[in-house]
Order: sequence, then C-alpha cells, then structure tokens
Amino acid sequence: MFKYVIRRIIQMVPVFLGVTLILFILRAPGVLPGDPVRLITGEKAISETLYQEIVEKHGLDQPLHVQYVRYLKGLTEGDLGTSYQKSRPVSDILLDKFPNTMRLAAVAILLEIIIGIAAGIISAVKRYSLLDVLVTLSTSILVSVPVFWLGMLMQVVFGIWFKRWGIPYLPISGMSSSDFPDWVHLILPAITLASVSTAYVARIMRSQMLEVMGQDYIRTAHAKGLSERAVIRRHALKNALIPVVTFIGIDLGVMMSGAILTETVFNWPGVGLEIFLAIGTRDWPIVTGGVVIIVLLVMIINLLVDISYAFLDPRIRYGGPAQ
Amino acid sequence: MTPEHLNWDHDKDPDMIPLDAGGHPSRQSESGDHITASAGHIDVGEISTSSRTLWGDAWYRLRRNKLALVALVWIVFMILLAVTADLWVPQTLGDPIVLPQDTAAAKLLPPSADHPFGTDKLGREIVSRIIYGARVSLSVGVLAVSISLVIGLIFGGLAAYYGGLWDTLIMRTADVFFAFPYVLFAITLIAVLGPSYRNVFIAIGILGWPSIARVFRSSILSVKENEYVDAARAVGASDLRIMFRHILPNSIAPIVVYTTMSIGSAILSEAALSFLGMGVQPPTPSWGGMLSDARAFLFSAPHMMLFPGIAILTTVLAFVLMGDGLRDALDVKMKD
Amino acid sequence: MSDRFRKGLAIVLALALALTVFGIGGCQPDEDDGTGEEPTGDVQKGGTFAYYITEPAFIDPYNAQESEGTQVVQAVFDSLVTFDPLTLEILPAAAESWEANADATVWTFTLVEGATFHNGDPVTAADFKYAWERIANPDNASEISYHLAPIKGFDEMQAGEATELSGVVAVDERTLEVTLNYPYGDFEYVVGHPGLAPVPQAAVEADAEGFAEMPIGNGPFKLAEPWAHNQYIKVVKNDDYYGDEPNIDGVDFKIFQDEDTAFLEFEAGNLDFTHIPSGQIAQVIEQYGESDDGFTVAEGKQAVTGLEMAVYYYALNTKKAPFDDPKVRQALSYACPRQKIIDTLFDGIRQPADGMVPPNLSAYEAGAWPASVDDMDMAAQLLEEAGYPGGEGFPAFTIAVNSGVGHEDIAQIFLDNLTQLGLEVTLEPREWAQHIDALQNGEYDIARFGWIADYPTADNFLYSLFITDGSDNITFYSNPDVDAALTEARQETDEDARIAQYKEINKMIGADQPVIPVMYYSHIHVGSDRIRDGIYNAQGLFNFESVWLAQ
Repeated sequence: MFKYVIRRIIQMVPVFLGVTLILFILRAPGVLPGDPVRLITGEKAISETLYQEIVEKHGLDQPLHVQYVRYLKGLTEGDLGTSYQKSRPVSDILLDKFPNTMRLAAVAILLEIIIGIAAGIISAVKRYSLLDVLVTLSTSILVSVPVFWLGMLMQVVFGIWFKRWGIPYLPISGMSSSDFPDWVHLILPAITLASVSTAYVARIMRSQMLEVMGQDYIRTAHAKGLSERAVIRRHALKNALIPVVTFIGIDLGVMMSGAILTETVFNWPGVGLEIFLAIGTRDWPIVTGGVVIIVLLVMIINLLVDISYAFLDPRIRYGGPAQ
Repeated sequence: MTPEHLNWDHDKDPDMIPLDAGGHPSRQSESGDHITASAGHIDVGEISTSSRTLWGDAWYRLRRNKLALVALVWIVFMILLAVTADLWVPQTLGDPIVLPQDTAAAKLLPPSADHPFGTDKLGREIVSRIIYGARVSLSVGVLAVSISLVIGLIFGGLAAYYGGLWDTLIMRTADVFFAFPYVLFAITLIAVLGPSYRNVFIAIGILGWPSIARVFRSSILSVKENEYVDAARAVGASDLRIMFRHILPNSIAPIVVYTTMSIGSAILSEAALSFLGMGVQPPTPSWGGMLSDARAFLFSAPHMMLFPGIAILTTVLAFVLMGDGLRDALDVKMKD
Repeated sequence: MSDRFRKGLAIVLALALALTVFGIGGCQPDEDDGTGEEPTGDVQKGGTFAYYITEPAFIDPYNAQESEGTQVVQAVFDSLVTFDPLTLEILPAAAESWEANADATVWTFTLVEGATFHNGDPVTAADFKYAWERIANPDNASEISYHLAPIKGFDEMQAGEATELSGVVAVDERTLEVTLNYPYGDFEYVVGHPGLAPVPQAAVEADAEGFAEMPIGNGPFKLAEPWAHNQYIKVVKNDDYYGDEPNIDGVDFKIFQDEDTAFLEFEAGNLDFTHIPSGQIAQVIEQYGESDDGFTVAEGKQAVTGLEMAVYYYALNTKKAPFDDPKVRQALSYACPRQKIIDTLFDGIRQPADGMVPPNLSAYEAGAWPASVDDMDMAAQLLEEAGYPGGEGFPAFTIAVNSGVGHEDIAQIFLDNLTQLGLEVTLEPREWAQHIDALQNGEYDIARFGWIADYPTADNFLYSLFITDGSDNITFYSNPDVDAALTEARQETDEDARIAQYKEINKMIGADQPVIPVMYYSHIHVGSDRIRDGIYNAQGLFNFESVWLAQ
C-alpha cells in the first residue's frame, strides 16, 4: 500500500513539472504580447535605471531554464507573484476567493450525490419505466446543454419572471444580500454547477446498478429468497457505489475549474471569476497563479481518490510493477 | 449487442460521452490498477471491434435507431442551413451583420411574424444570426476535431506501435494535458494567441488530441495482436504500411464514434469561449457570443438568450445521440 | 509623457469595461464654499451613507489611480485645492491661498493654519514635499506620477539621478513653493488631484504597510478601521477637521464584485448610491426619476445622467493617405451617426460630441467643430470633392477597436454608414495591448479612442492630444499655428483670457478635423430617496461633505 502511494506521488512529479512548464512558457518574455517589464510596471513610463532594476530583480535577463527554476522555487514557497493591477500578493487575492469557490463546489457536489445517485438507482430499478426514460432523456440533454445558458435560463425564470409575477423568487447575482439569507444565493449557481456532473453520476449509477444486478451473487441472493429491496440495499448498492464515489471525488477537483462559467454568469466572487476578470485586465500573475493552484488541487484530489479507491476495492493491486 | 437495445439504453457505457466544455471528469483505467482523472474528457480505455461485416451491419442498425436518425437529420439540416445561408438568408430573413436603417426602433424586438426570433441590441434579425452562427459552430467543431485527429492519430499510433519509451513519453505528455482544467487551459492559450476564429479552433484542437491518442492507442493495442498483423510483418511490410493498410482500417470504428462525439464537445467549447469573450469576435455571429450579448438584456429582452441556447443544445445533442447511435451500430465497446 | 497617453487609454478602458465613471478630482469644498448649492430645507445631521465601490487597487493616495480608490482617498485626504462639484471652479482646500509668478513657472501655496492629520500631527509644507516625492520615486512605481511631470526635478528623480524634487521647496511650515519646467497656467488645477494630498511622514515611515491598509489623512473623514478587503471600507467624520464638518456621520464604502449585485442591494434599500447595470437604464430612470441637472440627487429625481469630462472619438491617421486630406476627414466625420449610436446603445443618455472640449468645461463652445454633425449628404458631397465620387477609388480601410467591451457595436453602426457611402471598410477588433501599440506606432487607418480629463481644463484635452509630436498625439496631427497657440495659452495666467484662447484653439483644430468626435460620456448612476443635496460631479466623485440624509 505504502509503495503504491509513493508510486502515485512520483507519477505526479512529471505531470506537475509539465503543467508548470507550459504555464511558465505562456508567460515567458516574447510569448505574451508586449515587453515583460511593461507588464510588471503597468502603463507607466519608467526610467532606464528602474527598467534595468526590474530586469535584474525578476531575473528577466537570465536564460529561460534559470528563470523556470526560480519560478518553481517561488511556487514551493507559496509565492505566486504580485498582481499587476492590485497592490496585493496573488496568493492573498486567491486565498480570499478560494473559500467562496469551495463553498459553491461543495454544495454542488452534495446536489450531485443526492440527485444523481437517486436518479440512477430509480432508473436502474425501474428499468424501461417512464421514470427511466425521463432520467435517461434528461441526462442526455444535460450533458449537451451549455451550463452558462442553463444558468441564464434559470436567472430569467426563477429570478426575473418569478419576481415579476409576485412568486417567491431567487437571487441571481452575488453571494449575499440583505434580502436573502446567504444560502439562498447558493441555490441557482449550485444547481448550474452541479447539472452536468449530476447527469454523469446518474448515468454511471444506472449502468453500475444494472451490471451488478446481473451478476451471480445477486442472483444467488435472489435465490436465497431475499426481497428485491434487501438485495438492492445490501448487495447491489454497495458494489455499484464504488465507481460513483470515485467519480464524485474526482469531480470535486474538476468543479473548481468548471466554476469559471458558473461564477461568471452568477457574479459569484470565486477563483474562477477572479481569473476571468484578470484575463480581461491582462493581470497575468493572477491568471497563471490561479491555474497553478487549481491544477495542484485537482492533482492532489485525484491522488487521494486513487488511494481511497485502492482501499475500497480489493481487486486493485497496489505495489505492482510500475508501468 | 442487439438492435432492440438501442432505444434509451445506454447501460453499456453511459459515462463515455466525451463531452465537456465545463471541464468534467473522466475515468480511465488501462491496466485496471489505477484510475486517473482528466479534466475535461471522458476517456476510453479498452476498445474492441468486430469488423467482419462492420459497415453493412452498422448501417442496418443505425437505420433502426430512430433517435440517431433524427439526430442525423438535424445535423444535415444545420449543415444545409449553414452552407446555403448566403443564397437566401440575407434576402429573405435579414442580414446577420448589416444594420437596419433605424436601429433604435428596430432593436430588442420580441419574436413576431416579422421577426421570427426577435431582434438583437442593434436591430439585427436573431434568426439570421443563428443560421450564420451555425457556420461558425459547425466549422469550428469540424476543424478543431480534425486538428485533434491528426495530432492524436500520429501520437496515439506512435505510442501504441512502438511502445516503450515512445509510449511513456507520449502518454505522460497526454497526462500533462489532462491535468489541466480544460476551459482554463483553452483561455490561457487564447489569451496568448489572441481571440479569433482561427485561434479558437486551434486551441480546442490542440487540447483535444490526448483523448484521440488514447482511443487510437488502445484500439491499436487490441488490433496489433491479431494474426494478420503478424502475417503482414512476416512478409516484410514496412511499419508505415502496416500502420496504414492494416491497423488503421481496423481501428477506425472507435475513432469514428469518438470523433462524432468530439465535434459536439468542440461546439460546446467554442460556445463557452465565445461567451467569455475569448472566441469568435464580433460582428461575426456566434452562438456563444450572442449569449454573451444577451446577458445585459435578461430583464428587458430575454428572447435574446433563448434561441442561441436552443441552437447549441440541439446541435450538440444531435452529435451526442449520433455518436451513441454509431457506437451501438458499429458495436464499439468503450468500457472503463 | 507617453505615460499620460497610456494612462488616458487605461482609464478609458476601465470606464468602458465597467461602465464605471472615472474621475480624478479635488476633495470637495466645504458646503458654504460651494457655489449655488445651498442646502434645501432643514439639514439633518447624522446617518451613515452606504456607497457602492468595487475592490480598489489602492487607498493610499500615492497610487490613487482608479475611480474606486480615488473615491475613498478624496474623502480621507485634502489636496491643496479642490473643485466646486457643480461648476468645477477651483476652490481652496488644504491651501488657503496661492499665486503664480508672471509666466506661471513658480507657484507659491499658503497652507491653512492649524490643520492636522487624523493622528494629530500638523499638516506642513514638508508633508506635501514628502508625499510628492513618494509619488515621484520610481521605486514606488506610482501610476499617477505623471501629474508631477511639469515640476522641476521630476525627470531626474524618475531617472534615479536625484532623491528629491528640486522644484518643490518647503519655505516654512505653511509655505510651499513649486517651480515648473515650463510655464503652465493650469497648474493650480493639477494640484487638485486627490492623490497629490499630504501624508504624515513619521506615520508612513513607521509602518508603510499599515498605512496602505489604513491611511492617515487630513480630510473630513477618517478610517474607522483598516480596509476589510473585498468587504468594506468604513470612514467616520473627523471631529478635528479644519473645515466645516460634514452632515453625515460617515460613509460605508461597501465593496461588491459586480454592479448587478450592488444594484439588487440598492433596490433592497441597503445602498444609497450605485451604478445602473447596463440593459436596465431606461427602466431605472423611469422608476426612480431623472435628476434635473444630471448631477444632483433629489427625492424622485434620483438617477444622475450628467456629462462627464470625457470624449469618445475615432482617431484618423493623418499621415496616411487618404486620411491626410482634411476633406476626407470631414466627410467621414459627417458620416458618423452620433445620435443613432447614442439612441441605439445608450438609451439616448450620452451626448453627441461637437468638439473635443466637453460642455462642462468653461472653454466649451457649441458647434466648435463644424463637421461634427450627422449629415450623410454632406459626407457624400465632400467625398466627391476630395476626388472619390460614390467612394470610387477610395482604398479599402479598417476601423480598429479594442475588443470585448462593446466598441464593436458602436463601430458597427458607424461602419454601416460608411458602407452606404460606397466605401470598403472592415472592423478590426484588437486586444487592448495590441491596440495601443498600433496607435502609438501609427499602424491604423481609423481607431477608436477615448480621453478622460484628469483635471477640468481644456489644456488637458487639446494640448495633450494635438501638440505636434506629443506622445498622446496618436493622429500625428501637426499644425504650427495650433502649436504656437497652445504654448502661448499655457503661459497665460489670467483665467478668462486663457479660456478665450482655448475656445479659439478648439475651433482651429476643428477646422482640420484630425479626429472624429463621437460622444461625451455620461453618468449612469442612481441614488436613494433619502439623499438630500447629494452631488455626483462630472469627475465621478460623490460630494460627501454637502450631502445629508433624511431620517
């Protein structure tokens, strides 16, 4: 087991290096339009002396590989640079927004688990029923719908029209206001963010249930005279859940990045919106810093999921020969 | 798989749709002992094909899958609209770019007999812009996937055929790409390249290759062991010849399925990028761009957001269902 | 001075992007200094004003570069002078009087006696010198340092050759003498910039980081607690203020990421002043009523739509044929459908530009640029006179705009008209960085641009944009007569005479039509119904000193 964990961590290293290398190249001098010193100083004219100082301070005159090592070293110390537009370190800015994104993602995951698994089970148990058709149909539609459009649609219906018609309505922007408790602000963004994932969970759950229920031990259980309900609860569910849990675990990390569209539509002040706004103002340290953090997060979550998966599923051999 | 299965029955592999502008997870487990996440693609591990009467059988099965047929008709319809637009749209429905004389009076009109889908903030016909938007969406979809295909086939082929160091190198690089949050990566790339029609399909195309490479690699690995490959090698056929004459034709089915689904995925990505202002630039109409415009008018002109969204949804859905249909018809098993 | 050019552009972008008003102005005058704004009814004291801002970049005056931070800085600090919120006339603030020598190269300011910082330290001339050197110090990379560029010693400091501004001398505690590199009659307006306020040297040196989070100023309000990032900035009345004390107890600058949320809060009654989200302008005006003068918020007349000191225009590349021909330039100007653009995209709120000096400056003259009217017939006629009947023989050209913030729509309406003239023209959206690079290098035919005044002076528009070889002169316009007149006007110390000269210069440039003025920007803001005597000025700053709240 220990070996397996080590191996997975070692496998992460080249991926991490690759990701940071790509990000580094994208912000390296000569790649981005404009003089890198200009990007650092902003729109302001500066003296030749200061120019040189900045070049030296940021090591812009050194070979690229030296700059890359320097950049990596900064990362390990939590240094993501300083925002061009704001006076604060990027890590502070992102740290402010991070809990907001986490909150949104956590609620979305919750929705995904409850609705997705329930829909999948119902769909599998009542196979070919109207409910099953409905679930399969809506999951097909949900994976094809642009999430930002889904969000806008809900804004119009539940926010604007409901208000106009005098029906209790939902807030469509921001994270808090005096009219609503904070959790109400979460409803529409969370549903939007959860939509696609929920569809996937429902589909996986359904197929896993169907597969498990066709297996020998389930038939045996039936043969032993257990009720349908008991079979499902005691045997089928447990085994079908493993891949679903894996998927959900991975999804948490991915939601952090998927949030950029949802956060933009709902003006949710999270990391995604911050990155989007930073792109608009060419604030590169925030963009690359945000992406690095999200990538790291996704990787770590994947690792944890893999390890817990290895615990859950006895079929997985750990410590086997590396590929 | 029997044809009756096709209706609403995705139980074989429901999670295999490679769709995802929002960057959703995928699972992939090649040797069964590890699972990695990839941001943005549902991946395909083991693939097997049976190819004896493949295409004939497939067409027979496809014809009996009503949903896939509807999807096919819709795709053909959209392509026809897009291709013929210049011939009739500006003349009858209204120009998608040139403004009406009195813009202030013509703007933001709700749908009516004169304006089937209403007008936008500059008084242009939304129906015309949707039809012209189909050009952008479909062409970006096809071009992006073509790029992914070329890169993916080459790398996937190299990895599978030569194995060893090639395999490790290419598949690790693919991992790097998978580790990136898809949308963020596309945005970062376009921020560097500059937003434009060309750069959008290049960015989406570049980001799509690892999935294709994996599909192709797996399918080769399964084909490679067959006797006819050994036979070809035995009679002294060159690597390239074996690849093109023997392996490629026999692994084409999963590629076709995957490509169809990827086009839908690419269309979604393009819409997302244009929505964020990182895609096709105005005045060229694009569905995502129209939705971005509509955001400011949710209160006063909600019709602006309705139709572009429906256009994206139906078109992407058509490619998904078509992909599902093809998968079943070609009897491609994509299993995790 | 290329910095000013970039600054101007940056500001315009910021404005267009957020549709937020940008303005840099003086601290507000004491209410009885204000001309024409006598309180109506019985002034009620007390109450806290809730004001919407987005997260500022800085609230330390040395880098008060954008509207959000500037709004806070102007409440907490007083510069030497300030401006009347309605007339934009210059008024005393931290300086009780000032004078210039005969050619306006040496300025002497006398400070108010007994003024103190919020920590009790006296405000001295040395504090101004210290504050300005902090701005001019290249290590601090202040975005607003270009304001000090006329001062002797500034260039040396920026080059790192000097550590102090040789042109700024604290003669005694209350006397500040400023020597300029060249005559500059409008310099008194420059020192009204909120960022050029004094800072207490001891406090800054003791804890610069703390100061950035909780600046100690000399203005009518002081920070109640350090800046709560992304949440709020609270300021309360400064009881030791040397001027008249404000009517309200304080201001809560509530930080929201976006205007939509802020507007919802406003509608819920939790904000007193906010920006109207685009797409809802007409509705909001109907619901809340429109201010009579566009600046003053009164009950039932709460939406302010007054003009800002800013012009939106298309630059013409005057060194490139056929745009080197004034007839062609005039023809294109006649072809620009100003009113149509405003009606279609701005709900009729902005005003068509008939020159390059906005109407809220005294140097404004209606119809100063004769070809700045919408007239397609004149456009066709002039085009023919220039040798391109029906657009024949006119080379294909492009309209360059910076992308993604709505300029494409405006250009599209213009472009449509040009196409009707028989011209072959395409839209070229560019990234902001590429756009300004192209402008500076003259790589364009027609390009969108906007100019927002830093101070309420005509010089800030005309000299900056049209002096030969000026770094902000993106059209490469050059007219020796205009150059001479601009230089002469700067040396004129008599305000009225100077204004008369600028009126003349505006017309001289207008005859050559180096740019196509399109529209003057407007406010799009709304206030609550409890606001009395609230003025949101042309520079986009709210006057917290005169306002009071009905309870």
